[in-house]
Amino acid sequence: MAEQLPLSGVRVADFTWVWAGPFCTLQLAHLGAEVIRIESESRLCITRRIPPAADGEAGPNRCGYFNQYNQGKSSICLNLKKPEGLEIAKKLVATSDIVAENFAAGVMDKMGLGYETLKAIKSDIIMIALSGYGATGPESPYVSYGPAQVPMSGLASLTGFPDFPPTNVGFSYGDPNGGLHGAFAVLAALMHRARTGEGQYIDLSQWETSVAVLGEGTMAQEMNGSPPQRIGNRDLYMAPHGLFRCQGDDRWVSIVVADDNEWHKLCAAMGKPELANDARFATLAGRKQHEDALEAAVTAWTETLTDEAVTTRLQAAGVAAFPALTNKELAEDQHMRGRGFFAELPHPEVGVRQHAGVPWVFSDTPCTVRRSAPCLGQDTEDILQRVLGYSADEVAVLKDNEVLS
Amino acid sequence: MSEHNSPTPNSQPPGPLQGIRVIECGHMVGAAYAGKLMADLGAEVIKVEEPGGDSARQRGPYPGNTPHPEKSGLFLYLNTNKRGITLNLETSKGQELLQRLVQDADALVHNYHPTQMSALGLEYEALARHNPRLVMTSISPFGQTGPRREYTAHDLTMWSAGGLVFLGGAGGRPDLPPLKAFGQQAGFQAGVNAGLASLGALYGRLSSGKGQHIDISVQECLVAIMENNYIAWPYDHTTPSRLGFRLIPQDVLQCRDGYIYVLAVEDHQWKNAVELMGSPEWANTELFQDFVSRSVNWDALKALLEDWLQDKSVQEVYHGAQKRRVPFAPVSTMGDLLKSEHLNARGFFAEIAHPEGGSLRYPGAPYKFSASPWALRSPAPCLGQHNEEIYGGQLGLSPEELKSLKETNVI
Repeated sequence: MAEQLPLSGVRVADFTWVWAGPFCTLQLAHLGAEVIRIESESRLCITRRIPPAADGEAGPNRCGYFNQYNQGKSSICLNLKKPEGLEIAKKLVATSDIVAENFAAGVMDKMGLGYETLKAIKSDIIMIALSGYGATGPESPYVSYGPAQVPMSGLASLTGFPDFPPTNVGFSYGDPNGGLHGAFAVLAALMHRARTGEGQYIDLSQWETSVAVLGEGTMAQEMNGSPPQRIGNRDLYMAPHGLFRCQGDDRWVSIVVADDNEWHKLCAAMGKPELANDARFATLAGRKQHEDALEAAVTAWTETLTDEAVTTRLQAAGVAAFPALTNKELAEDQHMRGRGFFAELPHPEVGVRQHAGVPWVFSDTPCTVRRSAPCLGQDTEDILQRVLGYSADEVAVLKDNEVLS
Repeated sequence: MSEHNSPTPNSQPPGPLQGIRVIECGHMVGAAYAGKLMADLGAEVIKVEEPGGDSARQRGPYPGNTPHPEKSGLFLYLNTNKRGITLNLETSKGQELLQRLVQDADALVHNYHPTQMSALGLEYEALARHNPRLVMTSISPFGQTGPRREYTAHDLTMWSAGGLVFLGGAGGRPDLPPLKAFGQQAGFQAGVNAGLASLGALYGRLSSGKGQHIDISVQECLVAIMENNYIAWPYDHTTPSRLGFRLIPQDVLQCRDGYIYVLAVEDHQWKNAVELMGSPEWANTELFQDFVSRSVNWDALKALLEDWLQDKSVQEVYHGAQKRRVPFAPVSTMGDLLKSEHLNARGFFAEIAHPEGGSLRYPGAPYKFSASPWALRSPAPCLGQHNEEIYGGQLGLSPEELKSLKETNVI
């Protein structure tokens, strides 16, 4: 075996698709697990079908969404509607440590791959199901898409400008949040198995993981019978606290002043000592009371400068500020590049593209992206022969019988 | 793994992280949420606060909106199942006590800024001399290395630096700024990343026998969750924003008594939604015949949908749609969540009494383990609540030594 990674030797039979599930297993791949995605030509993952495609040219192996979130994994194609396909899936489970899936509740059971069945095949298997509603409860059969978790969890009702309706956050936050919590749960189950020898079933509800990151919201309701109000980018305990217009087209900088001392630093950095002496702004209570005027005063300064110039000047003064970065600026960011964050491995169809990589630097067992995302079914023959012990002839017969499609 | 058997306070089976000892230091959300995730699954987490307390204690919500350091809803939520001690890491005696705590720990998670770590005795090499098996996880805004490592940050500036703020906000309103998500989302994302990276290293340690240092950049954690929005630049040089066109017919729409989230991805879902609306004539026009046309003509469609929704209740539309396999969802208020029949049937909210904060329902298990369940065993610690138990009991300091530590403001 090559270099030892935290999850070296751990195998994941990955039945997930779309985003929450694949994001869960991506974390396990980052940590060194062998993650095998079970795919099907007749039921292509939606992330192989939607933009962005490399240079705008569509194709199942050319989509950025899939290629971003399936780095480090392998892919086999199995027709699970054929008994031989189902049997191969079960053989794979028998050699695996973890099974991951994110179908609606009950779908794996119907396919003949429910936990009780798999546990009979591999007694210490750890199985995680990441569904929208969880495996139990009256609404568990309901249909759930990732974007719905932002409104369902209440995050949308807490997000937005005053006098505006509840507002979504611009991306399907419930998916990666569920996936990360799922990866955490799987690791905890691996620790439990290491200590006791026992596997288990983990029922993860994306609705619930989405509420888990809104503790202040439900606690406010529970304590006082009313939720926090929508206050845009403002904060109850800090001011100024917002995004301020800068030079250029739709350019903005975020600025946060945590206390009176930082307010004086901001005034000095803006070259506006008169603001520091303005009694309206001397205390947090005053700055909150006159926040419109406060923000207008800060904007009068920021809109004469670039977001970079504001950031450089305020950071030098010890005030938190940062531009609202676009994806282009992220891709061109020299700080993250210097840290080795981006993963740029060659891919047979899209060449070298700059993917987001692993957001953690391990000092002893460096976790990096070790291969680009797989083409559809790229590893079918290898997994069948190397892992499951089929001969080349047997694989050819399975192919002819449309089991591997 | 260190052997340490504390009595289980109730009859529930122990959590999957039983026997893991974690030290948590810092302020606010990142380290505390990592600690909570582990503590709620049975790890023994010691929360180390500065004598003045975690700054999360200074943020609400508070009962009756009256600030009180033991009653912050944010703090109470983030620190369940932990024991709490105070320790002044700016003193050499404080650092020596931290080293003694670390000798006995499996992991240390903190979110002190990289520029503060050395002054607080939080350098990995120094701590590893006392325990080479230590897994230490450092959360920082931009990481431990690189030209921006000294930049200061808060949740809003991180949501900006991670590229997410540029995606949020009011569509079609270039006069309004991009919009952050409610709360402390950058902190929560840092926390769950820190928790899983720490467990990954602890699992690896079972075979390597070695600890290590993990450097977590919050900015990178956020770039990693941008859906297909980051990767759009390397793949086709497009830049999504709150102002751009979105190829998905979906929105938050007003009902009689609240808001519903309307989404119909597949054609059969749209057909069923039309049926639910009583098959109005307008639904047959070419304007709305497929996914793409419904996206392109969304403004017109939205007005028609809102006209239909105005006298309906959220729950009637939600359940009616879902019975037809249409993935509409309620735009929940916090009150709706606490009342939700589904969440309550799953036992999601967990109630526990805190000596100062009173008895409250908390968001509970985000995942259900069949063999070793999540459990709410104890409420968040009061400031310094376990000083005597840990310094006296665990580290074996005498009552005189404890008294002297208090007098010299070390604890």
